[in-house]
Amino acid sequence: MEGFFQFLQSFDLGRQIYQTVFYADRWSWYLDGLKLTLQLTCGAILIGTLLGVITALFSISGFAPLRFIAKVYTTIIRGTPTTVQLLIMYNVIMVSSTNKLLVGTLAFGINSGAYVAEILRGGIMSVDKGQTEAGRSLGLKQWQTMLYIVLPQAVKTSIPTYTSEFIVLFKETSIAGLIAVTELTKIANMITSQTYNAMVPLIVSALIYLAVVMLLTFVFGKLERRLRKSDAR
Amino acid sequence: MTQDKNDSIIQVTDLHKSFGKLEVLAGITENVKRGEVVAVIGPSGSGKSTFLRCLNLLEQPTSGHILVDGVDITDKKTDINKVRQGMGMVFQHFNLFPHLKVIDNITLAPLQLKVFSNKESARKAGMELLERVGLADKADSYPVQLSGGQKQRIAIARALAMSPRIMLFDEPTSALDPEMVGEVLKVMTDLAREGMTMVIVTHEMGFAREAADRVLFMDGGIIAEQGRPEEIFSNPKNPRTREFLSKVL
Repeated sequence: MEGFFQFLQSFDLGRQIYQTVFYADRWSWYLDGLKLTLQLTCGAILIGTLLGVITALFSISGFAPLRFIAKVYTTIIRGTPTTVQLLIMYNVIMVSSTNKLLVGTLAFGINSGAYVAEILRGGIMSVDKGQTEAGRSLGLKQWQTMLYIVLPQAVKTSIPTYTSEFIVLFKETSIAGLIAVTELTKIANMITSQTYNAMVPLIVSALIYLAVVMLLTFVFGKLERRLRKSDAR
Repeated sequence: MTQDKNDSIIQVTDLHKSFGKLEVLAGITENVKRGEVVAVIGPSGSGKSTFLRCLNLLEQPTSGHILVDGVDITDKKTDINKVRQGMGMVFQHFNLFPHLKVIDNITLAPLQLKVFSNKESARKAGMELLERVGLADKADSYPVQLSGGQKQRIAIARALAMSPRIMLFDEPTSALDPEMVGEVLKVMTDLAREGMTMVIVTHEMGFAREAADRVLFMDGGIIAEQGRPEEIFSNPKNPRTREFLSKVL
């Protein structure tokens, strides 16, 4: 390790890398940042999925007030910038909260819920009407037909868009630094302000984002192939 | 409820159905007897499918009454799900559940509706149905792996899984390649012989002639003529029936 550090110190870029990544164990900061980024993402996708499923079911409900609630929610969230939503959550709605991670998770979760709802609604709409008719003609109730026949198919067609929403969300958490959550991008900024070096911390964080996205894409791809089993001849 | 073989299991009185301004059913009054096989024929747009779909309320009639086993299903208080359990339906496009294996297609409704208390007995009954339609070896296949004729036979097995007293068929062979029509019609003929009450919307005139007890000819949203198949096919009285048959036979 010592030899590697001496090698780094021998040229300019190497010195920059040493200073912004290895000096004072700064590499562990990036990892802490990534951990917060992942916490935000996972928490938000959990909330988002829950809200999304409920909202999607509201939006196809036969009861008009529920459809109205779903419409208002998705319109507002999809019609305003995520950054503004995050700041409103932090500075207005949860101004008394000291748990910034919680505020961020909620803001991103509520944001994601609107998109998940639209993704799932699209999936439900894409299921042939004949499927519902077949279910109902057997005497199954509306909810049973939805739960056992329509939703499994809707979920399957929604998975590719849902996984891209997950990846979008993962990258979008980079704005959480605005409310002082020390996620990966914020960490890069903090290291820049200590070292007066912007390039290396930003590139490093970009590479970390990229690596995680590639890993997620790989895992989701595998999952999709498994779910497509029943389509195979 | 009497077990008289001649009593009506379906009684339709002055049935009307409109889609917006378009009147598709213009007053149908018709009875179907227990164990009777009724074929509904007629040109496209004559309201045959709409009539059939009203019988299990997949279409909500605009007015009129439909009694199934003496229960008025157009009455809002009637539990239509309960009535539908006794009426199987087979669709033109099969509508098998693509995400479920063949056997699970068949056992889904009986399990959810508590006809069977456990998976084993449901599977056993499902396998017997598959045996009946000659597809026991496909139990663990997915629908996408089957031919059209096989899919439709599975769809019939699925509809039979709730032990219905009435079977409705909505152009069951219209989406099939010609060489697969026979296998489906054979299953239906067997079913008719076993005494199942059947209402069949069909373009298969040969089948209607052979298997049906009675033929309804629909045109312009009404039953223009009805009678025994030999009367309708050999000696139609209504000029519209004659014109239609001259085109399709």
